[in-house]
Amino acid sequence: MPSYSHSDIKGALGFTLPLIILLTVFILIPIIGTIITSTFKDISFLQKRFVLFDNYARMIGDGRFWQSFRFTLLFIAVSVPLEIILGLAFALLLNRTIPLRGLLRATVLIPWAIPAAISAKMWQLVYNFHFGLANYILHALGFSAEPINWLGSSASAFIALVIADAWKTSPFAAIILLAGLQTIPSELHMQAQVDRAGVVRRFFAITLPLLKPALLVTLLFRTIDALRIFDVIYVLTQGGPGGSTTSLSLYGYHLLLSGDFGYSSAVSVALFAIAFVLSIMYARMARFSEAI
Amino acid sequence: MYKFILIAGALLLLAIAGCSGKQTAKLTIAIGGAPNEVDYWEKLIADFEQESGIAVTVRRQVTDTDLRRQELFLALRSKQADPDVFLMDVIWIPQFVQSGWLQSLDEYMAKSDVNPDDFLTRVVKLADAYDGHIMALPVYVDGGLLYYRTDLLEKYGYDGPPDTWQHLQDCAVRIEQEERKSIPDFYGFVWQGAQYEGLVCNFLEFAGSNNGGILDSSGAVIVDSPENIAALTFMYDLIHSSEVSPPNSYTEMKEEEVRTFFQQGKALFERNWPYAWALHQGEGSPVAGKVGITPLPHFEGGHGVSTLGGWHVGISQYSDVKPEAWKLVEYIVSHNTQKQLALNLGWNPGRVDVYDDPEVLEKMPQLAALRKIFVHALPRPTVPYYSRMSSVLQRNLNAALAGSMTPEDALSDAQKEIESIVQEYRQK
Repeated sequence: MPSYSHSDIKGALGFTLPLIILLTVFILIPIIGTIITSTFKDISFLQKRFVLFDNYARMIGDGRFWQSFRFTLLFIAVSVPLEIILGLAFALLLNRTIPLRGLLRATVLIPWAIPAAISAKMWQLVYNFHFGLANYILHALGFSAEPINWLGSSASAFIALVIADAWKTSPFAAIILLAGLQTIPSELHMQAQVDRAGVVRRFFAITLPLLKPALLVTLLFRTIDALRIFDVIYVLTQGGPGGSTTSLSLYGYHLLLSGDFGYSSAVSVALFAIAFVLSIMYARMARFSEAI
Repeated sequence: MYKFILIAGALLLLAIAGCSGKQTAKLTIAIGGAPNEVDYWEKLIADFEQESGIAVTVRRQVTDTDLRRQELFLALRSKQADPDVFLMDVIWIPQFVQSGWLQSLDEYMAKSDVNPDDFLTRVVKLADAYDGHIMALPVYVDGGLLYYRTDLLEKYGYDGPPDTWQHLQDCAVRIEQEERKSIPDFYGFVWQGAQYEGLVCNFLEFAGSNNGGILDSSGAVIVDSPENIAALTFMYDLIHSSEVSPPNSYTEMKEEEVRTFFQQGKALFERNWPYAWALHQGEGSPVAGKVGITPLPHFEGGHGVSTLGGWHVGISQYSDVKPEAWKLVEYIVSHNTQKQLALNLGWNPGRVDVYDDPEVLEKMPQLAALRKIFVHALPRPTVPYYSRMSSVLQRNLNAALAGSMTPEDALSDAQKEIESIVQEYRQK
């Protein structure tokens, strides 16, 4: 344990204080406020009263909550791996010395730079039944005589949402993974090449293990983002057809609009708790991987 | 350096405190909508300032209805003095009233020339009156209606628009078949079936015209009634059996999608709100001059109904300048302002005498027909927890239209869920 002088501590405090204030005011206080609200039966048109865990008990028996919970988990399970694989593929490509690399790197980032609601509006034009690009291409290729109602069944709506989300967020994974790739010394690859290790062998023996910290960071960010998924669904399906694509955030939002502050806060707290547990899990994994 | 950081921190705290700090006692009105509408309102409010000498701040809201509600919601819940006056979607009023957020207008009306009878009586009775108190006044009245292609009906030898849903479907099947020879993606009837509030409005019209509904007069839930099941089955059949409504009726069809589809000349009938009229008849519209409006059809043994929509003006309970706020409301509901709103924004007035104004009628001849339609306006349940009910209905109705549930199952599930909501919110 190194010892710090009094002035060291004072200086460090000075530098971190603004951040501590910001985090307290904009993150800590709202979180505590939401937790407090979640212990009340707080509906705008009824008498507010303290109910402790009633809202949470209600959540356990609420089929709609579990339906959105399952949808959200499935969405994470499908979209995050897809985004990381796509992101890794882009990162590997952009890490090579190819012509116009700078331009390509900037281009790949474009989807990520577009606000989520706007990219979702764009996808609306792709999936549209009457004049959408997807049906147009199918028609032009002579595949289907009848246009497809992409958002019409739970399964196809789910896939449509995953694709729209992957398009939007894979670039983010690509950039973090690219940064990770660049920290891998090229000497390692050169030496392996001298030892006649093939591309595949080098990828699994050198690139992947050394990329682990970057992969974990990407995984953490993408999982938590996917957990909060809202905009794409709000624009494309509003949770339909028949409520089958309602995510937890969308469910909480609908509850809030109906004036039920207590219960919608409880749903938000549940969402926060899941994110918190996931972060700790990933942090553990990261430490574990450092240890090896 | 250290001092600098401390000062910066203190300033930051001050800035944060400033956000929630005391507001000056000044009249503020929250107005949202399409940008051109808000622009016009700013002009109207400027005229009011000139006339009355009262300074008014216009708080511009966004176009999205849910976000507008959310903004008012947070201000009222935290008992903020501003905004003092705001426009409300008709379905928010029960919630706002029961939450104690609205100032009753009774005493102000008693002392002024404004009379409940100046407005569409049925609308005031259904939407603004609670336990005999007037809590808001109608500024813009909306109701569902049927648009039809006059040229096509004539071409195929029909005397006029259909009066029953069955006739509508028969007529749509026949004309769709013929018209598809030249327009392959022509459909007989377009309406709003996506999972959102508009679907509930459409369902209420089908169900209501079959003597069904959501709550009966005693407040009991009657969602799974045979009348409602028949109405929902008919809606399903429009998409999947007679196929006069497109497959994306339950995924993508909202007001604007429906309107543009009809306006491209690709549909015979359209269920929409009155706003579509001016756009259909406007310059550059392929269907201009070929569109008629009429009340929505009904089932055998029922009569046509129209879901009541629109915007109403009210005063916040927490307003610190209520007398001035009333002056502004009085101005907004005056004959002249309502007339200006009709002439410039095409808003269907809440005031009944504007419907007889020759200048307005000249520009909006459809008002005569609309007035008759508004007489059959049917409100959505006026309970403060309507939006919970609506989100259950939206999901279940949409599932039935998608075919993932039968109409019977969808409505019996909705019945149970809505009953438990009613149970939950009735206990105080």
